[in-house]
Amino acid sequence: MRTVVESDKKGINLGLNELIVYKDLFLILAYRDFKVRYAQTYLGFFWAFIQPAMTLLIFTLVFGKAAKVDTGEIPYPVFAVVGMSAWAYFSYVMSQSGTSIIGAQNMIKKIYFPRLVIPMSKVLVGLIDFVIVLVFLVVMMMIYEVPFSGKIVFLPAFLVMNVISALGVGLWLSALTVRYRDFQHIIPFAVQFGLYATPIAYPSSLVIKSLPEWLVTLYYLNPMAGVVEGYRWSILGIGELNIYSFISFFMVFLFFVSSLIYFRKVEQVMADIV
Amino acid sequence: MSDIAIKVEGISKKYILGHKHSSTISERFQSMFSRNNAEKEEFWALKDISLEVKKGEAVGIVGKNGAGKSTLLKVLSRITHPTHGRFELNGRVSSLLEVGTGFHPELTGRDNIFLNGTILGMSRNEIRSKFDEIVEFSGVSKFLDTPVKHYSSGMYVRLAFSVAAHLEPEILIIDEVLAVGDAEFQKKCLGKMDEVAKQGRTVLFVSHNMAAVGLLCQKGIMLNKGEVHLVGEIDDIVKEYSVFQSSVNFNNYINQEVLELSKVDGFALKHVKIDNLSNPDSLISSGDDVRFSFFYQADKKFLSPAFALIFRDQMGVEVFRLSTKPISGYEIDLFNGLGCVSLEIRKLPLVKGSYFVDFGFVRERMEWIIKSELLIQLEVQGKDVYGSGLILDRSRGFIWVDHNWEHSNESL
Repeated sequence: MRTVVESDKKGINLGLNELIVYKDLFLILAYRDFKVRYAQTYLGFFWAFIQPAMTLLIFTLVFGKAAKVDTGEIPYPVFAVVGMSAWAYFSYVMSQSGTSIIGAQNMIKKIYFPRLVIPMSKVLVGLIDFVIVLVFLVVMMMIYEVPFSGKIVFLPAFLVMNVISALGVGLWLSALTVRYRDFQHIIPFAVQFGLYATPIAYPSSLVIKSLPEWLVTLYYLNPMAGVVEGYRWSILGIGELNIYSFISFFMVFLFFVSSLIYFRKVEQVMADIV
Repeated sequence: MSDIAIKVEGISKKYILGHKHSSTISERFQSMFSRNNAEKEEFWALKDISLEVKKGEAVGIVGKNGAGKSTLLKVLSRITHPTHGRFELNGRVSSLLEVGTGFHPELTGRDNIFLNGTILGMSRNEIRSKFDEIVEFSGVSKFLDTPVKHYSSGMYVRLAFSVAAHLEPEILIIDEVLAVGDAEFQKKCLGKMDEVAKQGRTVLFVSHNMAAVGLLCQKGIMLNKGEVHLVGEIDDIVKEYSVFQSSVNFNNYINQEVLELSKVDGFALKHVKIDNLSNPDSLISSGDDVRFSFFYQADKKFLSPAFALIFRDQMGVEVFRLSTKPISGYEIDLFNGLGCVSLEIRKLPLVKGSYFVDFGFVRERMEWIIKSELLIQLEVQGKDVYGSGLILDRSRGFIWVDHNWEHSNESL
């Protein structure tokens, strides 16, 4: 094995093949987080279920019953739980990976490994909760007797997009937080703000109908807007993917690619400034 | 070519001093618009370092605090990136800058073995195959399924060390921090390192402990102010280092990182100065008069606070403790502005050895508001304080006492 480090090398090497060498570390960090997460809790796994259930209850009461948001032939709780499943995963991974580098600073200062492993391992941790929420979703659909749409074959594409949008935003936040601790404060705010700035509790048609065009464009710069629509489109067969959705999809890739490049750049000085 | 394990060509490393980096955005903004570059102080921790280490060599890196030893290790272990230059490592590398990196208190001993081993670069299969050995070596098999937060610190260190001891790299990079801890642990650690060196692996070892360096290494590299000062056989290096060291700069005794952190709301320790009043130009020896001056900045009034110093030996055992109040009863009040509190110890009672000094700033009612552990590392040279031809070291107690013997034949 030969390692060469050069300071003056031009261009950015994303070094993604190195990640394969460190796949065990990736797995064990995820395992650690997972174990620690429910250590000494009485309800354990049940927590992964309580949170979305309570949010869904509030949404159903406020948006479904009080504000009477129109969701067509789909019962409101089913409509909302689809959006929430995507959002819950996104917000978990974004906030966990966003603070992950700061949280691992002792390790970073003492040993080498590709730093990307740390925020990336959160993707795996989030999947466990995500599966629980998906089970919840399926149960809800059965209770309300809503059939799966045939477009469900496209769901994997949106799952992937969900993962990389969460990772993209999370990587940006984690690298930025190394330099500017301000971003630590932005994370909880982004989670809260995003919950309303993404079509989770209401259909996106409502936004397109009632807001001026420039504001709608701005709205779709949110990478999760397209993903949530994609979920509903593929699972429930409602709504349609329009030009705005594709703006949002493009944002997902933009965030992801740019975050990898920025993270690599910060990585070189991470141990010095974290 | 293939017999070279480590090849370093012109490595330099620059640090920007001050907190300009991990600051808030508003500060970043201000510095963007102010063209005042003077406030950004550059510091070159390494300057154009080039060296080669052959396969199977054990090389000791020596130098005073701040000579760049640790920075060099950090660069070579790829923790931080060099500002200039390139280096090559031929072989699988493990670096040990501390034991137990990544240990999680909530996880069991078993989980932590896997976690720490993976962080150190072992694969899961490798750990699995060595698992029983690791457990046996650590002697904590009974507590394998207990979270390590319930471990005693001794058990914790033993487990952490036995994971590290089972690494099988071709190149091993070790920091001297490994050699602190209790005496038994040190011995075990050095023994293991000796074993590794004898197995024909390449070892890079940073230390202040000349005895350990001399024992483990064949070659030595002496760094001074970020540059390679001397390369050669280890015996020559150790000799040169002892001569070199006697031109002193006491500032090297102050741990700057700890000093930086020695502040609270309204009070900051700015600078510590150590003077040898007996022999101003030489190292501190037993029996010298020594003055410690603590320069501080206060932004508010502190009524009758206390400064405290705890002198510890290398194992962390408290040798003695001095304070303005209550121990000596000396009262001070701090007001806005700069000031200095100094302590003069006449006839330093410490025998030959390394000591650490903790600094404490204590508010009324004995509440420690600053406790800067290991702020000062004090190297006390041996001296024939009694004039008997005997140089005192730890084999004859912690301290020496200024005293007289008298013998008279008169009976009571």
